Amino acid sequence: MKEISSAIQIIPLDSYIMLSVALFSIGLMGVLFRRNIIAVLMCLELMFNSANLLLTAFSSYHSDPAGQVFVFFIMIVAAAEVAVGLSIVVMMKRNVESVDINLLNRLKW
Amino acid sequence: MSALIFTTVLGIILLYLGLTKNKTILSPVAITGLLITLILSLKDWGLDSKYFHDMIIFDNFSIAFNVSMIIITIIIFLFGIDYYQRMELHVAEQYALMIFALTGAFLMTSFSNLIMLFLGIEILSIPLYILAGGKKASFRSNEASFKYFMLGSFATAFFLFGIALVYGASATFYLPEIKIYLAQFHGNLPPMVMIGLLFIVIGVAFKVAVAPFHFWSPDVYEGAPTLVTAFMATVVKTAGFAAFYRLLCMGLLPLPVPLEKALWVMTGLSLLIGNLAALRQTNFKRLFAYSAIAHSGFIMLAMLSQHDTSASVLLYYTFVYSLATVPLFIIFILVKRASNGLETLYIFQGLYKKKPWIAVFTTILLVSLAGIPPTAGFMAKYQVFVLSISQGYLAISIFAILMAVVGVYYYFFVVREIYTESDHLHPIVVSKLNAGIIILCGIAVVVLGIFVWKLPI
Repeated sequence: MKEISSAIQIIPLDSYIMLSVALFSIGLMGVLFRRNIIAVLMCLELMFNSANLLLTAFSSYHSDPAGQVFVFFIMIVAAAEVAVGLSIVVMMKRNVESVDINLLNRLKW
Repeated sequence: MSALIFTTVLGIILLYLGLTKNKTILSPVAITGLLITLILSLKDWGLDSKYFHDMIIFDNFSIAFNVSMIIITIIIFLFGIDYYQRMELHVAEQYALMIFALTGAFLMTSFSNLIMLFLGIEILSIPLYILAGGKKASFRSNEASFKYFMLGSFATAFFLFGIALVYGASATFYLPEIKIYLAQFHGNLPPMVMIGLLFIVIGVAFKVAVAPFHFWSPDVYEGAPTLVTAFMATVVKTAGFAAFYRLLCMGLLPLPVPLEKALWVMTGLSLLIGNLAALRQTNFKRLFAYSAIAHSGFIMLAMLSQHDTSASVLLYYTFVYSLATVPLFIIFILVKRASNGLETLYIFQGLYKKKPWIAVFTTILLVSLAGIPPTAGFMAKYQVFVLSISQGYLAISIFAILMAVVGVYYYFFVVREIYTESDHLHPIVVSKLNAGIIILCGIAVVVLGIFVWKLPI
């Protein structure tokens, strides 16, 4: 644990923040603009993982384990969420034979 | 705490009971279980019991909200006896998922740590994603489910990133410690913390469907099975606002100025968009989605007028709103059955001719939502306005009162339909139990409005 923590601290904190923000933005753009549902799900995961990376970096810089424990919770919840998401995609695929997000337009005002 | 454990076990028991293929025992078991949960929660009243290194605190605030949510769920399950009798498969799962969602709701009312808030929101949301897609063969239900899932996860990602930023600055997840950390800046927060707090608030605002983060709610409400919609509009809303209030109260007060401005803009937009968009709806479920957004605006108004009585007003408002909304959805399901699955407002035509008593109580419930005396809906709105005006927010209060007047129009559109003659003659079947629920809720709304103006907290 000590070695990992010091290994993380070789890179300055600013770089971690930059990387996480970049990952988060890539994920955000992907969710907004990709048309394939599977790609959208992957981008959502990317957004979760950017938060994980940030938490881990902060946690070792503060030498406070709570942040890394939280990362485990996030990973478990993200896994559960993606399981549900993929099953919803399967359910949709059975009905319309496609995973294009543009098909989701039956409900509108 | 025992209530939290008991609901989890109850959900698992219900899942196993599903193996027996005996649908008739599910509802009684679920309702008995919830009644036991109610008693277990009430036993903790006044104890302020803390668990898991103070990550969860069951104080009077959380118990009061838990009890109100349990009561609403019991009403939904009482109707479920009839509703799920017609469904072929997976009835046990429906009950179990609602109970699991309720467990998440309990966590959301009792957290004092951001980890618990996150877990509560997710335990509430994940069962709801599945429930929204309950009608597997219907593409509308699939679409509702997927939209809810995608925007829900999207909001969660924002929420998590916000938590990470706040954690980076303050090195803690405990809300009281975050409050102490924020206090040392005297309002001039560093940008990282400010962005973090804003992201957290956006994440929670998505979950409670406050404008401008409300896009998903009309679509999801329309596509989801109606009983699930009733659950989302009431229990989930209550839990979300309880969590929102607790977050602001425990961690963020006094609110940093940019955050406070953002929250006031959300309040104004919810009132405006909710009420104006509801005017042009012809689908009952969409109408109620926008009405829920409008009510969120009033609740936000109560929440932001920071005063000791805010929590009590919040509880009263959410409870009264839920108590009127659930039976209206029940009536809607019954009327929809009689009109071959149509969902427009016109299906209410001729309800007075066919079922005069049900029509009268429907009117009372709608009048309560519109906020006309002597119903509880009026008292709830009145208390919100008194609170916000006494705290000096005059302009937004006047705006809210005007919007409440706009709200009367679309509720009375439904009332007008009830009392018009119609030519289609399908009989509306209302079982004794369902009629009992509707009438009891109608009476409760009036009694609360006349005699009980304050719920203890």
